[in-house]
Amino acid sequence: MVEFLQFTLSGIVFGMVYAAVALSLVLIWRGTRVVNFAQGGMAMFTTFVAIEVIYRTHSYWAGFFVALAAGLVLGAASELTVVRPTIGKPPLNVVIVTIGLLVLLEGLAGIFYGGQLRSFPSAFSVTGLKVGGTSLGVSRNDVFVVVAVLVATLALGVMFRYTTAGLRMRAAAFNATIARLSGIRVARVLTVGWALAGLLGALAGVLVSPSIFLSPNSMDTIFVYGFTAAVIGGLDSAVGAVVGGLFLGVALSYVGGYVGGSVGSEIPPLVALGILVAVLMIRPDGLFAGARMRRV
Amino acid sequence: MSSGPDGAGAAERAESLQVEGLVAGYGGVTALDDVTVTAGAGAITAVLGANGAGKTTLLRAISGMIKPRRGRVLLGGHDVAGHSPEQVVRAGIAHVPEGQGVIPELTVEENLRIGMMSWPARQRRDRAAALDEEYGRFKPLSDRRRKQASTLSGGERQMLVIARALLARPRVLLLDEPSLGLAPRVMTQVMDLVTGLSREHGLTIVLVEQNARIALAIADHGVVLNLGRVVASADAATLAADVALRHHYLGF
Repeated sequence: MVEFLQFTLSGIVFGMVYAAVALSLVLIWRGTRVVNFAQGGMAMFTTFVAIEVIYRTHSYWAGFFVALAAGLVLGAASELTVVRPTIGKPPLNVVIVTIGLLVLLEGLAGIFYGGQLRSFPSAFSVTGLKVGGTSLGVSRNDVFVVVAVLVATLALGVMFRYTTAGLRMRAAAFNATIARLSGIRVARVLTVGWALAGLLGALAGVLVSPSIFLSPNSMDTIFVYGFTAAVIGGLDSAVGAVVGGLFLGVALSYVGGYVGGSVGSEIPPLVALGILVAVLMIRPDGLFAGARMRRV
Repeated sequence: MSSGPDGAGAAERAESLQVEGLVAGYGGVTALDDVTVTAGAGAITAVLGANGAGKTTLLRAISGMIKPRRGRVLLGGHDVAGHSPEQVVRAGIAHVPEGQGVIPELTVEENLRIGMMSWPARQRRDRAAALDEEYGRFKPLSDRRRKQASTLSGGERQMLVIARALLARPRVLLLDEPSLGLAPRVMTQVMDLVTGLSREHGLTIVLVEQNARIALAIADHGVVLNLGRVVASADAATLAADVALRHHYLGF
């Protein structure tokens, strides 16, 4: 029973990270109908930026916020330089471009920092919390992970629902023609969407790296989990992405805990891929897709 | 029609739209070939013709949804041909495309607020008043402002897209098939509305209609397109009285 509680709580913590990655993918998908395969690579790269700043300033928070800013810049720059030219071209072009960007970022990180695993500091203590002598299996830092993703998600939600900038982004995503005819500079809106996605990715990278160590391809698995979570949610739904992330986090935590044992085991990624394939076969629009058909 | 924050009434700002020698198309197909049309200031100009005559392409080329290969689109002495839709709407031309103009996932009010996205930042605080003005004009929208736009009827949707276009404070309104798919009674309401916008508010209107009879009944001037060329241009009454023309191109 205690084990079950521990697996559930730690699943929720990792699930929030997957949710952040999933949300970043949904942001880009809703605006540009692109799955950004470089999202994990961008998160990894900005986490290296964080580690660099933390080494130089000895301040975790300086690294944290510089990484978020770097995510914004990297997201916007990616859209402007390599994604923009693929608009109006066959859909496969942008897929190849984002994979190319991933290879580029992982290559650059390897050149600058080498391929070895690096430990990444955590914001708060990683000592397990206890309630009345019972270990919960989560730490103060895990609570911070959950709160940070929640705050980012809610801030984005409020921005989208209640601000003019958010309405502009929703209008551009739902109907780019009407948006442009109404004077919305849709191209600029898409850049902002990629920037925000870059920020979310950076957040996920900084939050998860204390638990998984950092290397040029350390975010690959996290990207697969985030992508799976987004697909579970239907790729179009922010709420779906968060629920998908939590579902996957908890499911993989049970698998790792009861079946697979240690961190780095090959079983959870396999299970995630199995879930991904199952969702795509049974409900390709995701579990949260409405009955609405997408206009082509 | 909302008047500008400077207090200038719309009628005083009425402006004609001149399309000169416009050539446009899709890929290798030329859909508009040397089209010249003048939409008189504050008047309704009906653009008529069969399917594929180039009516919709004309509006799309004016509003920047497609780039014309040649020709000029003049509003108040400025040539906006080839400008992006974002620029054209800021120049004072609002385009209500055919069908699907409502964003069903958004609320009625959110759909309307999109109409004010072209406003300069310093006028942002006038937005509530402008919204109220449209709610006054379109009561059914006022009652449903918090509802999803997907819940609106066909007539209400047409009101919504016209109200949204008006919120851009245009001098020229391009309407593509506003009567499409509407019940006859609702169609009449929409046409009355269009007439009012021109007569009472001095808006220059270009009305593309499949239903030539209804369009000519409210238009001041009519232009008939066939296979991308202008085959007739005259005042509406003259066109309506031309039996041969009606029979050939207008189908009534």
